[in-house]
Amino acid sequence: MSTTTITVTINGEVFEETVPVRMLLVDFIRERAALTGTHIGCTYEGVCGACTVQIDGEAVKSCLMVAAQADGHEITTVEGLAQGGELSPLQRAFNEQHALQCGYCTPGILMNMDEFLRENPDPTDDEIRHGLVGNLCRCTGYAHIVDAVRQAAKETR
Amino acid sequence: MYPAPIDEYVRPATVADALAALGRYDEGDAVFVAGGQSLMQAVKARLVRPRCLIDLQAVDGLSGIDVGADGVRIGPMTRYAEIARDERLTGACAALRDAAQRVGDRQVRNRGTIGGSLCWNYVAACMPPTAIGLGAELELTAADGGTRTLAAEDFIGGPLETAREENEILTAITIPAAKGSAGSAYKKWGLVTDALPVIGVCVALEAADGRCTSARVAVGGLANGPTRSGAAEEALVGVDAGDGDGIAAALAKAAGEIETQEDLWADSDYRKQLIRSLGAEVTATAFARAAG
Repeated sequence: MSTTTITVTINGEVFEETVPVRMLLVDFIRERAALTGTHIGCTYEGVCGACTVQIDGEAVKSCLMVAAQADGHEITTVEGLAQGGELSPLQRAFNEQHALQCGYCTPGILMNMDEFLRENPDPTDDEIRHGLVGNLCRCTGYAHIVDAVRQAAKETR
Repeated sequence: MYPAPIDEYVRPATVADALAALGRYDEGDAVFVAGGQSLMQAVKARLVRPRCLIDLQAVDGLSGIDVGADGVRIGPMTRYAEIARDERLTGACAALRDAAQRVGDRQVRNRGTIGGSLCWNYVAACMPPTAIGLGAELELTAADGGTRTLAAEDFIGGPLETAREENEILTAITIPAAKGSAGSAYKKWGLVTDALPVIGVCVALEAADGRCTSARVAVGGLANGPTRSGAAEEALVGVDAGDGDGIAAALAKAAGEIETQEDLWADSDYRKQLIRSLGAEVTATAFARAAG
């Protein structure tokens, strides 16, 4: 099987790996970097958003690209949000607002909303909901997620 | 699903190198990847089984938006998110932002590109009807370095079909400057927020003293591919911005002459109703934008 060698920085750590060309980025993150906080919800169909990570600071679905496309780029996963053992304000808000039940979708939502709040630090509820279109949650009904994002926005401004 | 094995991944730095990589493979065995938000779905479903992925992310000069006196020039690798937030795209070009702001979701808009959408030409895509409605011109560069320019409506065919030859790459999208006061708008309707369009309508018009002097009406979400409605365009000329009945009559002509399909999402009559209602709404928005 044809392979290619790539260098990808994930949460500040450099990974140089030889991978099959067809290996999806989400599998590289989970299997080669052993960072299993990034989830696969819809069996790689690109609709659930659970595999959302940031590439060079931008939220993207890591099942919609091969790992080779990330060669030379910097990736942040949910494991990279907390700094020095301290949850980020967004993570803490999810905890305090009970913004998750099973938690399976949460890493993808955090990685999407983390970038969203940098782009729009003072969002309306409608803007938050519009920002969440690419992330499916089947437990919460989203209300507490919106509350958590609003709280994080308030604390971060 | 998961991609079938792929032999090679290349990341060319120039248009010439990208076309040279394509030329090393038999037709269909190597594919250009722009943002990959549609193509990778097809690769994973094994509807497309490339031997080589040619990633265009590093090709020089394919990205960015230039706004000048002659019009707007958009690099095909420009992502939806960049178009969505570019406040220079007003008046005649405003429909581009309407479309880009509601494609897919944030993650898709961060990677998906206008050129990728035009070259893939999915049946339920926003950029093909928008490009046709705005009278966009597409520049294609061939392996020998020669270029040709096609009107969007000549480039875009039925779903998944374009006039791009196997040895060509899309290198620019140009929206010519409008002569007078001009406005455009695009809106789609889907089953959930920001869903793929069941119908999408783009209207671009020029107006003098609030009266339409020329118009283009393009509709997407159609089994035969996006199309213009000549009858609606003719009927809009002479209509005043505030003339709701005149606007409705013009869009009824579009609904009358455009063939609409029935599928899981909507029947034929419902699609015609969407053409009328979305069309009237975007026409009013386009008038307002033309008035500045």
